[in-house]
Amino acid sequence: MTLPPWLKAISAPITSIIVTLALGFVLVSFSSDSPLLAYRELLFANFDSLRAFGLFLNRATPLVLIAVGIVFSFRAGVFNVGGEGQLFAGAITATAVGLALAALPAVVLMPVTIAAGVIGGAFLGWIPAVLKVHLKVDEVVTTLMLNTIVLLLTSFLVNQVMRDPTSYGAVSHLLPEKIWLPPMPFVPRATSAFLVAVVVAVLGWLVLFRTVWGAELRAAGTNLRHAEAIGVPAGRRVIQAMLISGGLAGLAGALYVLGIGHRFEQNFSPEYGLVALTVALLARLHPLGALATALFYALMLNGAAYMQIATAVPRSLVDLLTGILVLLMTARMPRLKRASQ
Amino acid sequence: MNLISLLSSVFEQTTPILLAALASMITLRANILNVAVEGMMLVGAFAAIAVGALTESAGLGFLAAVCASVTCSQLLAFITLKLGANFIVAGLGINLLAGGGTLYVLETVYMSPGGLRPITFPDIWHLSGSWLDTIPVLGPALSGQSFIVVLAILAVPACYLFLYHSPTGSYLRAAGEDEHAALSAGINVVRMKALSLAISGLLSGLAGAQLAMDNLHFFLPDMTAGRGFIGLAAALFGAGQPVMSSIAALLFGFFGALGDRLQVYAIPSQFVLMLPYLAAILGLTFARWRRMRLDQPAPVAPSEPKKA
Repeated sequence: MTLPPWLKAISAPITSIIVTLALGFVLVSFSSDSPLLAYRELLFANFDSLRAFGLFLNRATPLVLIAVGIVFSFRAGVFNVGGEGQLFAGAITATAVGLALAALPAVVLMPVTIAAGVIGGAFLGWIPAVLKVHLKVDEVVTTLMLNTIVLLLTSFLVNQVMRDPTSYGAVSHLLPEKIWLPPMPFVPRATSAFLVAVVVAVLGWLVLFRTVWGAELRAAGTNLRHAEAIGVPAGRRVIQAMLISGGLAGLAGALYVLGIGHRFEQNFSPEYGLVALTVALLARLHPLGALATALFYALMLNGAAYMQIATAVPRSLVDLLTGILVLLMTARMPRLKRASQ
Repeated sequence: MNLISLLSSVFEQTTPILLAALASMITLRANILNVAVEGMMLVGAFAAIAVGALTESAGLGFLAAVCASVTCSQLLAFITLKLGANFIVAGLGINLLAGGGTLYVLETVYMSPGGLRPITFPDIWHLSGSWLDTIPVLGPALSGQSFIVVLAILAVPACYLFLYHSPTGSYLRAAGEDEHAALSAGINVVRMKALSLAISGLLSGLAGAQLAMDNLHFFLPDMTAGRGFIGLAAALFGAGQPVMSSIAALLFGFFGALGDRLQVYAIPSQFVLMLPYLAAILGLTFARWRRMRLDQPAPVAPSEPKKA
């Protein structure tokens, strides 16, 4: 039996998802009398109401954007584990600009705010890229360390500088209502940011696989020295890929702030950056695959909450399953090549 | 008195970081960036409290911590070295598994998602006795510390001696420096890498046990709070040298201990907490920059006067 190539490509990730879900089912049957109900809630409760469906799309939005960005960086040979920091950088700069320039009319302010978020994230992607290209500093270390640095920095900013003293917790002032993103047509609880995410995923695929620039980027990722030898400005492509990667994570932060949170909250991310890394790798570094995988992950993340309410199976089951999935994800499949020092 | 109390709190604060730094350092020497120290510490801390409370024996709790961490490290070794998984991805997977797994067990077995606080918990052995007073300054500061603190201090020369003055240590370093050369010299590279991960797990287990058993006697989800990564930062800043990494860990721990006091001088604690991570990036960048400078070919023009 010969499978069509696209089916072959998705068979491995789907197998690992099924194995993980099966393992989870065994775990659930140990701790609950109604494992079937638990799994129904986990996988299908998101479609029970339009409200749940909207929240599900909202959950998927940042995951899609960050994951597509991570696809760009990995395709260029950069092991970018800094999604979380880039997301926070985007969210905080968007909030800061949105609050500082609140007097501007909405038509100007909204694009400026979003652009600020993109620039904030892209800047954070640029640092490790330049250090890697020019000094060969290991990007895993820099992106990992930058995550914590940015999280501490935003914690300082939101607690000491932009704090809304009338609210509980570490949150900034509310952004002016005129620049809140409109809800998605037909799904009132979802923001239109999800549509942006879908467009970004499709564009990402076109750019990566249907343009010369994308081919050069991938060539730089496959073999930097060879790419340089055949005349590809590989170093520049690597830096550009990281600008896109950080920029998309920054966009995710800006759209979250404008569409869902309406303010910066220090704990708004349930480790979106790490989950998006999982999504990108599970999607075998394909933008459209990342869209599908992000939807699946959002399903699980939100479904876990419904499961906990309905059956008292704790939602940390999903963290546990993610751990197993991530642990096994790169096993067996050909080793992801990291550009060596 | 003040110096002694400061030293004493530095010992207490830096011990987990020092152990985490050594745990990261030993794998760095085998060319593995071990991001899983954080998760292994967490599992160690959990095992220490769970087994310690169950058996009412501090010794068994301590042993469980070490065993659990070493098991984690060997799981990582199996998946990366045998199944060919990527070290970073699998390491992050271990962290997720440790965080999610301990939380899941807390919720399903102990029915307390907030943490595990046994009503009674056996004390581990703490240093005491008049003989300590005979050592100036260090003695009084060590008095009342857990024996894990002593183990951590002894671990520094132990790691140094192992790496530089034992055959296995030099094989391990060779496997890290150049895998192919080591292979052709007859060194079992896979075994050396697994060994470095095992030592890393052992040290992480000590760190976790110290965190949970020294004074607190309870386990909280996420109680490692990034100490594994600070340790990694210290190891990177110390360029994978045992002594330099330990000094970096001491420095980071010292700044951490100082963090709260500095707030008085209007320096927000976040900036103090940032220092290890900034130092790691800057240290690494500087080291690479120097290497690039040294690697540059000498100036070609023969007429230039030579610098001594």
